[in-house]
Amino acid sequence: MNEVVLAVLAVPFATALVTVLIGHHSTGAAKGISVGGSAIGLVLAWALALAHLGAAEPFSRVFASTDGIAPPIELAAYVDPLCAAMLLLATTVAFLVQVYSLGYLEHDPRYPSYTALVSLFTGAMVTVVTADDLWMLLVGWELMGACSYFLIAHHWELADARAGAVKAFLITRTADLGLLFAIFVLGQRFGSYRISTIMAAIVDGALPRDELWLPALLVAVAVMGKSAQVPFHTWLPDAMPGPTPISALIHAATMVAAGVFLVARMYPLFLSAPSALTLLAGVAAVTMFLAALYALVSSDLKRVLAWSTVSQLAYMFGALAAGAWSAAVLHLMAHGAFKALLFLAAGSVVHAVGGSTSMDAMGGLRDKVPDTFVTMTIGFAALAGVVPLVGFFTKDAVIHAAYEEAAHGRLVWPWVAWLLLASMVLTAVLTVAYSMRAWLLVFFGDAPRGAVEVHDAPAVMRVPLVLLAIPTALGGLVLIVPGILGPDRDENLFHASTSVLMTVLVVASGTVVVWLWSRRGREMWGRVSVPHPPIDVVYERALVRPVHGLAALVRAGDRDVIDAYADGAAASTRGVGWLFRRAQNGSVQGYLMVVVVGAAAIAVAAGVLA
Amino acid sequence: MPLWWPLLVASLLFAIGVYGVLVRRNAVLVLMGVELMLNAVNINFVAFDAQLRDVLHGGQTFALFIIVIAAAEIGLALAIVLLVFRTHGHIEVDDLRELADRDVGDLDKLDHPGERLDHPGRVS
Repeated sequence: MNEVVLAVLAVPFATALVTVLIGHHSTGAAKGISVGGSAIGLVLAWALALAHLGAAEPFSRVFASTDGIAPPIELAAYVDPLCAAMLLLATTVAFLVQVYSLGYLEHDPRYPSYTALVSLFTGAMVTVVTADDLWMLLVGWELMGACSYFLIAHHWELADARAGAVKAFLITRTADLGLLFAIFVLGQRFGSYRISTIMAAIVDGALPRDELWLPALLVAVAVMGKSAQVPFHTWLPDAMPGPTPISALIHAATMVAAGVFLVARMYPLFLSAPSALTLLAGVAAVTMFLAALYALVSSDLKRVLAWSTVSQLAYMFGALAAGAWSAAVLHLMAHGAFKALLFLAAGSVVHAVGGSTSMDAMGGLRDKVPDTFVTMTIGFAALAGVVPLVGFFTKDAVIHAAYEEAAHGRLVWPWVAWLLLASMVLTAVLTVAYSMRAWLLVFFGDAPRGAVEVHDAPAVMRVPLVLLAIPTALGGLVLIVPGILGPDRDENLFHASTSVLMTVLVVASGTVVVWLWSRRGREMWGRVSVPHPPIDVVYERALVRPVHGLAALVRAGDRDVIDAYADGAAASTRGVGWLFRRAQNGSVQGYLMVVVVGAAAIAVAAGVLA
Repeated sequence: MPLWWPLLVASLLFAIGVYGVLVRRNAVLVLMGVELMLNAVNINFVAFDAQLRDVLHGGQTFALFIIVIAAAEIGLALAIVLLVFRTHGHIEVDDLRELADRDVGDLDKLDHPGERLDHPGRVS
């Protein structure tokens, strides 16, 4: 088991390294290495994960440890059902993205570096989910931020891509400071950086609650940044200029999922800190509703999906805040499956219409890209929560948990819990609306005038769609297996009353959307621009401009004060040099005159003094 | 014969030589000034040799050495003067100022473009 865990950790990094070393000489080799490497990683991760899904005893091992500092920093792995599920999700989506990229980036000159970064990204996520040491986790966490920066800026000749990459990096990096300081606080208070040790100590009540709210809040800030929750939500939609498979990877399996994972991993800490849970609940309530509104009016297919990711992540945080750990994790899995499917299908659609992501350029595509149409329909239905797809079960479990918390809750403030529940139900309706709108706009109606000739995606892009459609359609069966996330996590997640109620809501809102579509066509509702909360303006005023001012001040200080000394020294040297250069006029007889007069003067002086 | 007679002659000769070296513009006349200075020194050597009655006659020996060296020197110097005349068309010492310090821009005003390459202020 030791070797398997180490191999799961090492294979993606090794793949990335070999791809960088060899791939630039031959694109074919890069393709083989990256797909083969991710396939090996996939097999290893499945072998490891299937052994631990539902297992009572987690695998925990320290491979290496630092001497001489206390508490030690360790290379430690911890594989429990949560980690196993995340490994399954991350490596599967990464493998499918690698396969899909063969077709999507077929003629891209930057394919080798792209695919190496995807491998590195996967390795970082695997590091995060298997790490048992907080510093090791931080390494993977930051590595993901860096990889997302490079991959979003894949088309760096586009100003949008550069700006989006910088924004994503800066915002997540700023929020990551929370994790860094949480590590300091936890290490200082518990005398250990091992997550399992710290969590066991919290469960045993080693520290009073007053000692725990600070690290919990700091971690909450970090995950809000990573998972794009208000007020850090602005980076995720702006990251859309990146290649579409990258969006699938970031949104489904790695970057944003890591935020939810971290809360799930450190759940005892949050249960002991109600203030952090309340913060998460409030943030989730606001985020899911706002993001759904944006998705409702966006005219860009990828931005609709991006906002829906923000909204669905808020569902997971809401479930975690409501105490429904299993529902949150299962919704994360389900979301990973159907969001990867949706993004890859969107990539196929974008590929079909020649590169535009605007839904104005799409329409009537259902018989032109039939495979994509079927699979994307399944994906949208799962997102909207249609019976019997996976999103239906997990979303209902989340909403039921929120109801339980609001009615009999003890974790968060009651009015926040009610707000959360109301926001969840409203958002579920909005989710149906924006899913159906995007679906109708892309696949139904007439093709827009002046549209380019549609060409279907190659098989290598369609196969991953079908493979992802399977768990999206049948993932609900997992709920039948009790205790898949551990023997003590066997609560019943299916509640008939909630399900019936939600199905009625879904059908009703779907009917309304179809009725609007038949009445008004493509303009189902006016393109009202939902007022953006002035988050970006606040960042601009509070952070960007002061930093620019400071930079101008430092520049002026450097140029006008520090450089002045150096320039002054140079100028005075030049001046003195200019003075003495006058003497060297090239007249040899002049020089000799100086020598003779000087020698005479010395002789006279010697005579006088002697 | 008192010692100051030859010393006076030597001093006068040396002074005339220095004057010639410092003031004359013609390179050949400058060389003649140098010769005058050398021979003034020879007179001193011989005069002191006689005065001090040196057993080994070091002063006379030295004078002979100086005569030989002066002959060699004048041969070399005249060759240089000849070359200067060939390249410049004159042997006016005043006008041979290529080694003066000058700004980089002044290089273009040189009479002889080939010489600018040696100037350290210029990256060629």
